[in-house]
Amino acid sequence: MIEVKGVSKIFTRDGKSFEALRDVSFDVDTGRFISLIGPSGCGKTTLLKMMAGLVKPTEGVIAIEGKEVTGSGQDRALVFQNFVLLPWADVLTNAAFGLEARGVPKKEREEIARAHLDRVGLGGFEKNYPHELSGGMQQRVGIARALAVDPDTLLMDEPFGSLDAITRHVMQHDLLRLWQETATKTTVFVTHSMEEAVLLSDQVVVMDTRPGRVSQVVDVPFPRPRDQDLSDSADYLEFTAELSHKLEQMQRMDMARSVDDRFDRDD
Amino acid sequence: MTDRGTAPRKGPIRRVATWFAKYWVQALGLLLGAVAWEIVGRAGVSPALPPISAVIDAGRELWSSQRFVDAVRTTAESILIGLPPSLLFGVILGLLMGLFRPVEWFFRPYVNASLSLPLVAIIPIILLIFGLSQTTIVVVIILYVLPVVMVNTFAGVRSTDRDLLDMARSFSARRGLTIRRIVLPSSRALTLAGMRIGVGRAITGAIVAEQVIGVLGLGGLVQRLGGAFAVEALYAVILFIGAVGVASLALINRVEQRYQIKEIRV
Repeated sequence: MIEVKGVSKIFTRDGKSFEALRDVSFDVDTGRFISLIGPSGCGKTTLLKMMAGLVKPTEGVIAIEGKEVTGSGQDRALVFQNFVLLPWADVLTNAAFGLEARGVPKKEREEIARAHLDRVGLGGFEKNYPHELSGGMQQRVGIARALAVDPDTLLMDEPFGSLDAITRHVMQHDLLRLWQETATKTTVFVTHSMEEAVLLSDQVVVMDTRPGRVSQVVDVPFPRPRDQDLSDSADYLEFTAELSHKLEQMQRMDMARSVDDRFDRDD
Repeated sequence: MTDRGTAPRKGPIRRVATWFAKYWVQALGLLLGAVAWEIVGRAGVSPALPPISAVIDAGRELWSSQRFVDAVRTTAESILIGLPPSLLFGVILGLLMGLFRPVEWFFRPYVNASLSLPLVAIIPIILLIFGLSQTTIVVVIILYVLPVVMVNTFAGVRSTDRDLLDMARSFSARRGLTIRRIVLPSSRALTLAGMRIGVGRAITGAIVAEQVIGVLGLGGLVQRLGGAFAVEALYAVILFIGAVGVASLALINRVEQRYQIKEIRV
């Protein structure tokens, strides 16, 4: 279980402080897939990086399986929005990086990495370099790299955010299948697409801005295994539309507030 | 079939064409420079501007003379002694500066000072310490080369992509692995650029130092020929130095390109 307890984060730069998160609390049960969604600036990525141990909360605690997060750990793996592959290393080396960081001997880590590249559909590309792959394929390497270390917790930071619509769709369904096959990894997925969040998640944590906070936690009622049929169903479309509408309103409110802020600043 | 058999096979042909074009344009540039030089020289603008034909005549005699060969050997020797350790330690110190803040703080003032100081000004001091010897010249070469290589390597390390470092951190990668897999490869381009500038500066440093000393190597020869108003021979030496500079940079570019293509494997 991931417990987020009273987490606040204040960034300070050049004497100005920015409240990124205020008193955020929620739990993620082990083995569940949850999405963090909200307008930009709601602190969802900051929260994810806290879970990864890359950012420290100003106040509050994040605990995973009862242990407070104080830094990065071998129980977690992160998938990045912009892939973050080593451009000078081939696909196999990239996919094996997490294992290499854990000190797994070369032969073994290559074998494991190869198996995971096969799983994400990149068998045969081991010797290619990232720049030779499309964005979607590069992110597949990123996912293989994360899965290869067999993490208990998978953290994904808008992994499909920089992909085109069609690739994104394919990737969503491949991830859905992949995750359901594994089905034991607690996953936290940051996104700004409600369709994506509902399709993939058991639970959607909707966040709001200024300061970043949890607005609503929504359980997704659709049973697993899910597939293409779900994303075509009327129930899904209705459910998603309603939540999307709420999110859109939040975004409008946020814009209105930022206009107010601008006027308030004339003091 | 709509193929009219005139499908442009641009690939190899165009590559050869660019290759030719490049050397053609370069040759043309050099030729025009030489022609201009000849015209200005023949016009008799100044006794310090002899035509290139006279320079080459003087050069033919000089380049095969014993004193020229000796001078080249002395200068080359100084560079071969001074350059490799400067490159090696420049890279090592630059890496350490990039990786460890205190090392940066320690060397920063020295590096910045030596990059902005006119080094010519301190050559007499080095001369006083090491005397009229090759040691003086080697020391000057090191002073010319070391800071440039250091500062470039340092910049290379510091320009490492933050996301890549975050990624390594998220996988709890140890420092050694992060350096080997991320910092070193991403600093490679700037490090090589620093080394390339370093080679050019080694030649400059050697000749400037020799000129100040006045007796050793090509710089000494330049000084003596200048003093004797042997203008044609002086130009012949300068032409030679220029040609060596161009050739060594071309060689380094070759090596650099080869290096860039060779990627790192597990």
